[in-house]
Amino acid sequence: MSSVVGIDVGGTFTDLVYSADGAAVTGVLKVPSTPQDPSLGLIDALGAAGIDVASLDMILHGTTIATNAVIERRGAHCALVTTEGFRDVLELGRRDRHSMYGLTGTQAPLIPRERRWEVAGRMDHQGRELVSLDEAYLERLAAGLAGEAVEAIVIAFLHSYANPAHEQRAKAIFERANPEWEVVASSDVVREYYEFERTSTAAVQGYLQPLVSRYATSLKGRLADLGFGRETLVMQSNGGLIPLARLGNHAANIVRSGPAAGVMAAARIAGEAGFDHVITGDMGGTSYDVAVVVKGEPRIAETTELDFRVPLRLPMIDVHTIGAGGGSIAYVDRGGMLQVGPRSAGAFPGPVCFGRGGTEPTVTDANAVLGRINADAPIGLKHLDRLAVEEARAAMAALGRPLGLDVEETAQAILTIVNARMARRTRLLTVERGLDPRDFVLVVFGGAGPLHGSSIMREVGIRTMLLPPHPGVLCALGCMVADLRYDMSRTIERPLGELDDAAVGEMLRQQREDGEERLAASGTRLEAVSHQHIAEMSYAGQIHPLRVAIDGSATLGDMERLFEQAYALEYGNTLGPIAKVLVSLKTTSHGLRRRAGAGTGGPRPAAQAVPVAHREVYFAGWVRTPIYRRETLGPGATFTGPAIIEQADTTTVLEPGLHARVDDHGNILVEAQ
Amino acid sequence: MDPVTLAVVRGGIEQIADEMDLHLIHAALSPIISETNDCANGFFHPDTGETIAQGGYGLPQFLANMQFTVQRLIAIAAGQGGFRPGDIWIVNDPYISGTHLNDIVMVSPYFVDGKLFALFANTGHWMDLGGSAPGGWVPRATEIYHEGITIPPLRLYAEGVRNDAVVAMLTANSRMPDQLLGDMAAMTNVFAVGRRGFDMLVERYGVTVLSDCVAEMLVRSEAEMRSYIADIPDGRYVFDDFFDNDGVSDVRLPIRLAVTVTGDSLEFDFTGTAPAARGPMNIADCTTRSMCFVALKHLFPDVPVNGGVFRPVRFVIPEGSILAAQRPRPVGGTTDVTQRVVAMVFGALGHAIPEIAPAAAFGTTGVVTVSGSRPDNGNYYVAVYPYPGGYGASRQSDGLVNGTPPGSMAKFMSIEMSEHRYPVRFGYYRIREGSGGAGARRGGCGTEYGIEMLADTLVSVLGDQVDSPPFGAMGGGAAAGNAIRFTLRGQDWVPPMRSKAEKVACQAGDMVHLASPGGGGFGLPAEREPGAVIADLNAGIIDAATARDTYGVKGEVDRLVLDRPVYKRPRQELV
Repeated sequence: MSSVVGIDVGGTFTDLVYSADGAAVTGVLKVPSTPQDPSLGLIDALGAAGIDVASLDMILHGTTIATNAVIERRGAHCALVTTEGFRDVLELGRRDRHSMYGLTGTQAPLIPRERRWEVAGRMDHQGRELVSLDEAYLERLAAGLAGEAVEAIVIAFLHSYANPAHEQRAKAIFERANPEWEVVASSDVVREYYEFERTSTAAVQGYLQPLVSRYATSLKGRLADLGFGRETLVMQSNGGLIPLARLGNHAANIVRSGPAAGVMAAARIAGEAGFDHVITGDMGGTSYDVAVVVKGEPRIAETTELDFRVPLRLPMIDVHTIGAGGGSIAYVDRGGMLQVGPRSAGAFPGPVCFGRGGTEPTVTDANAVLGRINADAPIGLKHLDRLAVEEARAAMAALGRPLGLDVEETAQAILTIVNARMARRTRLLTVERGLDPRDFVLVVFGGAGPLHGSSIMREVGIRTMLLPPHPGVLCALGCMVADLRYDMSRTIERPLGELDDAAVGEMLRQQREDGEERLAASGTRLEAVSHQHIAEMSYAGQIHPLRVAIDGSATLGDMERLFEQAYALEYGNTLGPIAKVLVSLKTTSHGLRRRAGAGTGGPRPAAQAVPVAHREVYFAGWVRTPIYRRETLGPGATFTGPAIIEQADTTTVLEPGLHARVDDHGNILVEAQ
Repeated sequence: MDPVTLAVVRGGIEQIADEMDLHLIHAALSPIISETNDCANGFFHPDTGETIAQGGYGLPQFLANMQFTVQRLIAIAAGQGGFRPGDIWIVNDPYISGTHLNDIVMVSPYFVDGKLFALFANTGHWMDLGGSAPGGWVPRATEIYHEGITIPPLRLYAEGVRNDAVVAMLTANSRMPDQLLGDMAAMTNVFAVGRRGFDMLVERYGVTVLSDCVAEMLVRSEAEMRSYIADIPDGRYVFDDFFDNDGVSDVRLPIRLAVTVTGDSLEFDFTGTAPAARGPMNIADCTTRSMCFVALKHLFPDVPVNGGVFRPVRFVIPEGSILAAQRPRPVGGTTDVTQRVVAMVFGALGHAIPEIAPAAAFGTTGVVTVSGSRPDNGNYYVAVYPYPGGYGASRQSDGLVNGTPPGSMAKFMSIEMSEHRYPVRFGYYRIREGSGGAGARRGGCGTEYGIEMLADTLVSVLGDQVDSPPFGAMGGGAAAGNAIRFTLRGQDWVPPMRSKAEKVACQAGDMVHLASPGGGGFGLPAEREPGAVIADLNAGIIDAATARDTYGVKGEVDRLVLDRPVYKRPRQELV
């Protein structure tokens, strides 16, 4: 069997999962990331794990470089070329503000106004040319820009999704003028209407492409130096993989690849354990990311806001984030209400108990004060041997005094409030789509997730929680278990009555062909190829379409029937004779890899759960609580809360009254009764 | 009160309101609800009508409006046998329920064990309720009857049974009956979402704890609001402004606000404001009050949304003035008048708390409607394009471009989608150069756009602020005012009321050109960082003369040329 590694390069840590046989996990590891040159951290991780890189069969990889470059505005100097009269579409957006209340704050467009240019030429919404493209001007512009510090040219014309001819001609002109430029045409990136969202997506692509290309080249070189010449696949934000070599053309697709990988891994692990309705909860230092998996498929968002007025209209796993993490700060507001987050103590100074000068009590401090985390074995901290619990207690006392709460009550209150916030976000995700959270299993991960999962589960009314074997490195594992994936999409926006079956069938066939070509071009060995089709449909006049899964031979009649079913399911009724509109057709092509098992592996210890120690932990009162080591818990082991489970990458709290059982894959399944 | 239970219950109640918002936004047919969130959901105290909580996705302008509506409805319902399970009341009478006829308010009682526990209410914008112009924006209306039909408070559902006669009356009076039915269903259905949520809370905490929490939430919010007010220096702060005209006669309409801060209480006194206008530049008193709270919430965003927040504030709004209009005064200009109330509060409180209050944002929603029948299928349509505009600068930052009006969160329709749906073509959509107020912090620029008609259409515009542009603060300059121009059969034409025009008959090839105001500047222009002035110059946001004359940049000033056909290099340095 083949040996593989999954590596997730995060902002703070680079996580690695290694499998010697491509099936079972051989080892996991966390090393600090190297933001100056992220490929270095990746190489370091391989070194620290003692892996013979040359003998590896495959490297699978997730990274935050793209996300960070957008947020910190460290991307390429781009020029934007637009239809005459629409230079400012990228900056104007569609009329909004930072938040509902508060009118201050401004914005930084990815491409500033002095590098945005207009050219005559116009298509209408049917793709008919109204004004021909002023190619002579584009030649002059290209010549002028050739002398400037511009790395990428982004071309975004009105209605290019309907007819990309002008964009393609402009692209050719710029490519000829300077072969060094990355030239991005908006219709190549997203073949859909909504000019701002499409322009922004193309701008993100252009902004990231040079950076990501350099990264790909540098990583390939470093790996080659170590004797590795086989495949490297990179995680995309849609949950599918893409070959490293093709990364430069898909830079915008790897934004948020880490969170996507985590969701993929959680979905896969839960699936192997027999659960196909999953809520994933990833809690780290500053945020809680939650996503929903229905019938084994993570829910996809069509548009994601990367930053204020930076939408990305590409299919991404729909991950919702709130500012609730270990570092979230607790305070009493002006009305005398206790609040937790979203302000975070961050990595520096961090929680009070980290002893680096933090003075405001955080969620982690509450966990420390209540004995939930082991003060004598801090995870991920090299500068101290023991958490500063006394300082944390003092901070709790100061916070609780005006509320009439003692130290433990204050800490408990912080946990209750932050858990309720996470539970509410979790619930909102399901109920807003008409799903019942009780039908879902909760998979928690991230450094802080397993500390809070028990409470979130109870609060939301979820019956079962699954704790994977390595919750702290789940995103790296996610890279290891994913498939290749490409998404195709095309705006139609016409009533069903104006379409015919043959034309729709042909569009779907073209999308399948396109997907197959891209998968073939990836050069990756695939077990099988599969396609899924979606029709986005609405009643005439509605803005929010519904996604309806169709098969490749679906007729318009089928679509109409499926849409009515979906609408009734979503809203409880249909709207009778109002015309139905086919908004777009979408195809997802998966290239299925032979892959590693997600959760299995390691030696199999005895089924008997035996605590390694006991300590006082506060659960509405101090309780002598058994402490288990995760690696000693084998399949079949059972125990009940209160209990604490410790392992290298995280700590798990089992609240009183909950039952835990280790399944055959090494997951801990927690149930309310 | 156990602080943890209180916090968790408050979060739980707010969550239910959020869920109702999302449900309504997704289910509504009206693009104004589904695309621009022109709706709201909330829960209200069964006796006092005070807001318990309101959803976080609906529009700010409904912030306090629903409370005042519910308070009036409680009295009306009491006179008609009270609330019964399964009732849903409906009202759009602006003098009772605020804003304008298109905003429908529904109220439904929620009972626990046969006892009234709370009133649920929602608001949604319906596209058309008759009147002399499509969509209800009638710039030349002189009576509310021109703006559409009034629905007095009545039971749309009585004990679970829909009053089909009322429904038939409504659909018969709308240009868009199908949409109306879809939106009605969306609004009535959403109450079930609220009931489900409350049933779960009642099951978990019991009625007593829940009632105690609700009472305590109001007390805490009141304390929080009072603490912010106490931080404002005591005093009386006055601000004056005016509207261009009422759309009927070209006479200015003065508006005056005196804010008095006394300890932890506030008074908003609009004495000195013009009597109600003949044209539609009027709003009802509850809308005025609501917008004052919107302004406070913009200044103090952390204040929660419930009735406790409204307790420390008193109002003096002269009856029969443009801010407390009475039947039959038209109120279609609510979209504009409301935004200016926010600016008035900023202007007055700017004297007291300049660190917090920004300069004026563009204060005109400038609703443009294009209506007609599609040439291809004959279907009737109304396209609505409300102004984006610039925000005022503040101590913290320059002003934003292309903001949504302070009382709204509504987005601008995608140009490409617009061209699919309506026989129009956009000629341009761009930053209005030079329109932000000058200052150490510069106001955001307005937006300009031109819409070409591809068929016979009727175009109406209802805006303001041509003559009284958004003001600057602390020495900052005013922004550029509103500017509207038509090109009809090749001839330029500015409507006589400048910011208002009703049913201008356009043909294919005619165009309407709209230029929204920017936001005011903050602080003296001479104190603006030179690098920021040069950056504005390079971006074309200001011109060379402004850099020299207003900002005092010395030496040769060369403006970057972005225009065709010449490519010219940005000027990187100056002086």
